[in-house]
Amino acid sequence: MPLLEVKNLSYSYSKGTPFEKKALSDISFSVEKGEYISIIGHTGSGKSTLMQMLDGLIKPDEGSVVLEGKDINSDKKITREARFKVGLCFQYPEYQLFEETVEKDIAFGPKNMGLSAAEISERVLKAAAFVKLDGELLKRSPFDLSGGQKRRAAIAGVMAMLPEILILDEPAAGLDPVGRNEILSMISEYRRSTGATVMMVTHSMETAAAVSDRIFVLENGAIAYTGTPREVFGHSEELIKMGLDVPVSAKIASELRSRGLDLPLDIYTAEGCADALARYAAKLKEGKRNG
Amino acid sequence: MVKNITVGQFFPGNSPLHKLDPRIKITVTLIYIVALFVCRSFLPLIVLTAISVTAVALSRIPLKTVFNGLKMVMLLVCFTAFLQIFYNDKGNVLWKPFDRFDFVITDAGIFSAVFITVRIISLILAGSLMVNTTSPTMLTDAIERLLSPLTLVKVNVHSLAMMMTIALRFIPTLIEEIDIIMSAQKARGAQLETGSIKERAKALVPVFIPLFVNSFRRAYELAFAMECRCYTGGKGRTRLKIMKIRVSDILVLVGMLCVLGGVIFVSVYDFGDNIMLRAVM
Repeated sequence: MPLLEVKNLSYSYSKGTPFEKKALSDISFSVEKGEYISIIGHTGSGKSTLMQMLDGLIKPDEGSVVLEGKDINSDKKITREARFKVGLCFQYPEYQLFEETVEKDIAFGPKNMGLSAAEISERVLKAAAFVKLDGELLKRSPFDLSGGQKRRAAIAGVMAMLPEILILDEPAAGLDPVGRNEILSMISEYRRSTGATVMMVTHSMETAAAVSDRIFVLENGAIAYTGTPREVFGHSEELIKMGLDVPVSAKIASELRSRGLDLPLDIYTAEGCADALARYAAKLKEGKRNG
Repeated sequence: MVKNITVGQFFPGNSPLHKLDPRIKITVTLIYIVALFVCRSFLPLIVLTAISVTAVALSRIPLKTVFNGLKMVMLLVCFTAFLQIFYNDKGNVLWKPFDRFDFVITDAGIFSAVFITVRIISLILAGSLMVNTTSPTMLTDAIERLLSPLTLVKVNVHSLAMMMTIALRFIPTLIEEIDIIMSAQKARGAQLETGSIKERAKALVPVFIPLFVNSFRRAYELAFAMECRCYTGGKGRTRLKIMKIRVSDILVLVGMLCVLGGVIFVSVYDFGDNIMLRAVM
């Protein structure tokens, strides 16, 4: 049984008014424990709606979200349980900090879970360790932290619930490259030590290519492509047509292909690109020698 | 959930009402409201209602929107009508439901209930129509112009208008933000929809603190952005769009003034016991 199974999800905003807009249509997929999934697609493709649906924040018009065999919308109690099993971290989560101290803010989720005081403080420390916020910072007001620290504190607030599925909506948006890499390695660290599933919305194709087991490409509320990075970026040309970016190496390969070089379609990393070019060069040499 | 607020929304369009000069539109709406309150008998009320219904038809605002706007105040209307029916004991008694209580339903009570209902509905129609057919920027611009005589008594009308524009501009932003923050806190297990009133009020703290903090942050950013574009207040500022009053605007204004005159005449003059012309309230 898959950890999470999504069946035929459909949803429209402002249903029954002249402003009705289809956000998702007939989306199905399943996710296994421990997978790292990247979701790409441009603004308005339904990514955020889908994320919120997986956490039971939006009820689908049709279809169901099944977590560990239970439909999360079947019962209020199950929805609430699902909110703790699925940790959803919104875009720019630092704008949702509210407590007096970082420590208390991180404790908000565990407290809502009804854990004991000892367990709460243990989880706070654990979550703070994941995002590398140490002792002295925990006593400070979250509003006094730097931008990157705020972001990490907010993400820790979600990690403290120890969700089995950690969903993040562009966790590295607006950060510099160092900050981005830090956040990404923290997420990987969380996944490694808890065995959790990670689903991440990202606009950086390099990130998606580097970290994920599978990639979902959303377009107009439907899944356009799904598969391993190799499979998905094999459709580089189609992705570019959709108005999405692809990793630089895929771009270079596609440009070279269009100029007549016979390169394979599944190039999406710098190493892969270099290898393919080396093979191509060797083949050319051989051809010359033989011909 | 909070997104579905349509009252006070501007509907772009090209109808005669959209084209009416916003200053004239505000003035005419105010005169109309005064007329509604001066009016004390049925005939002028019918005329006034006919005016607002015609205006709705002319505006080409979808009827559904108009009704949605009315739905919000229906509770108030029903409550007022209810009070009028049961607490007005003038006129002929039609029905006395309880022998023991001094509790009667009279024809005057029913008349005034109908009168008040129609009056409130007309009032709402006129008000929402004005907002629905004028863009917020036009509206504040017009208010600034209408209030400009106040600069003589050292009221900073431009700042007031600018504050209003900014406030209106940020309502949708704030609504969207409340939605996101509520979802984010719910994702962390906050229970915003269950529990006693006290618990729910407490549960709103995690929503309102970030909202306030973000609003201040946004206000600073906006102030910086405005200063970067050399905004120094109203002095010496010229306008991109200069409003011009046309003949048709004047005609509408004069027409509405005539209606007001007529209504005043009917309510002052004694027509005897004519049901359409005698005072209901």
